[in-house]
Amino acid sequence: MAEEKYPINIWINEERFAKLENAGLGEMCEEMLAGLKVLRVYANDAQKDKILKTFPTAKFDSATTKSIELLPRKVKDLIFDKIVEKSSVDIMDAFLQAY
Amino acid sequence: MAEIGHGGKPIVERILAPAEAAAKIKGLKAIEIRAQIANEVIDLAYGYFTPLQGFMGKADVDAVCEKMHLTDGSVWSIPILFDLTADEVKNYGVAPGVSVLLTYGGNPMAIMEVEEVFDYDKKAMCQAVFGTTEEKHPGCARTYGYKDKFVGGKITLVQKPVINDPYTPYFIPPLEMRKRFADKGWKRIVAHQTRNVPHTGHEWLMKGAFFQSYAELPIDKHYVGVLVNAIIGAKRKGDYIDEAIILTQDQLRKSGYFSDDTHMTSLTLWDMRYAGPREAVFHAALRTNLGLTHHMYGRDHAGVGTYYGAYDAHNLLATVQDEINITPVYSENWLFCPHCGEITSEGLCGHKNEWQKFSGTLIRSIVEDGVKPPRLIFRPEVFDLTLECGEKYGFGSPFVTDTYLEKRVPVFSIPPMK
Repeated sequence: MAEEKYPINIWINEERFAKLENAGLGEMCEEMLAGLKVLRVYANDAQKDKILKTFPTAKFDSATTKSIELLPRKVKDLIFDKIVEKSSVDIMDAFLQAY
Repeated sequence: MAEIGHGGKPIVERILAPAEAAAKIKGLKAIEIRAQIANEVIDLAYGYFTPLQGFMGKADVDAVCEKMHLTDGSVWSIPILFDLTADEVKNYGVAPGVSVLLTYGGNPMAIMEVEEVFDYDKKAMCQAVFGTTEEKHPGCARTYGYKDKFVGGKITLVQKPVINDPYTPYFIPPLEMRKRFADKGWKRIVAHQTRNVPHTGHEWLMKGAFFQSYAELPIDKHYVGVLVNAIIGAKRKGDYIDEAIILTQDQLRKSGYFSDDTHMTSLTLWDMRYAGPREAVFHAALRTNLGLTHHMYGRDHAGVGTYYGAYDAHNLLATVQDEINITPVYSENWLFCPHCGEITSEGLCGHKNEWQKFSGTLIRSIVEDGVKPPRLIFRPEVFDLTLECGEKYGFGSPFVTDTYLEKRVPVFSIPPMK
């Protein structure tokens, strides 16, 4: 059975979009919810547990979206910077190494 | 003619006239109460909790826990308790037949005519009401935090609460609410229970419930209204601030997403117990007293974590449907379908593989990331007002912070007695 994956939605504000464009990564964004740009970074079960433990404000929306929400904006900025650095959304291991 | 509330009992306001109140409180021992108790004193005195006229005695708590009824036979699902320590009972001379003065913020609020002082097994109460005894369930945590003695007895306000801005227009007690409904000519009114700033999923829940409730009624005039009844009580860090919740709910009407003929916003003072199915039954009683005829219930109504199944509340309501005077309106989830290009419901839309579900939590993440959601998802007027409330009332944030908890303007105050 495929391992469950849980998205973290990095919503792309103007500042983040400018950084993506500068790095030539503007095309990485998905579009959701009637026009919002988003980068979706996926965590596995163990990573999800570590994120929820490390960042107490974070919440797993088990009822509706099955996504990890309410990470502090600064933390999401760090995840975003890692995406730009690696030119990939497959960065969760690298990101969590610091914690 | 008496207004009849839940349990077929008349709604009674237990509030003394000022001259009488001053004389009645002379010589009474004063007990300062906390916010939860003060909220419930108001609810009891204005008839929100009809047929209750005071805090429960042991027989009623037993009946509620074991049979989900009061001793008078009315359906009731959550104990309404006034707790004291054994020392407080002794020091204040609290005993059957004694009246005490309840103060809030140091000022006289209500007289309690003590009928009974009793102990109760909190663990058994948790199991009965919440279906669990786990301390991590917020309702259990609250129950375990109660002091060890419970005091039953009738409540009478000696002063009306002063409702502070911006809540003033939204405090509409049962008797007044029923007059407002009559003035509007509404024959059916459906309750929307909320503790959220509304996104369009909430908006469509209400619109869907409006259509469901309207059914066969004529359309020459508007005969159906939606009442948003926001639960205002204890807050947790990260929740939306109360001011943002109540003002943005009303903004849906002010911005025309609902007409004046179909929508009204109000509040009830209550600390959520997260009792899921039992809280759903409690909501039915509460909203019956407010004069509502229909009540929206979605999935996992008033639940928390994974304690309750999605439809447990619906199933429990069905067991008492013949005994309550409010019709449940069950709501499916609303979501965004990019294929349809609109908000739609799980039951209507056939593009299941394309559905994009969203929740209050997800919207909060979008806002915290500094992004303005599209109007199809979150109304711009609601978004702007949410941020404005953060600046005006939330010390820079529309979400509850330590500063907000410490410095917020209280929903109501009890003034010094003249």
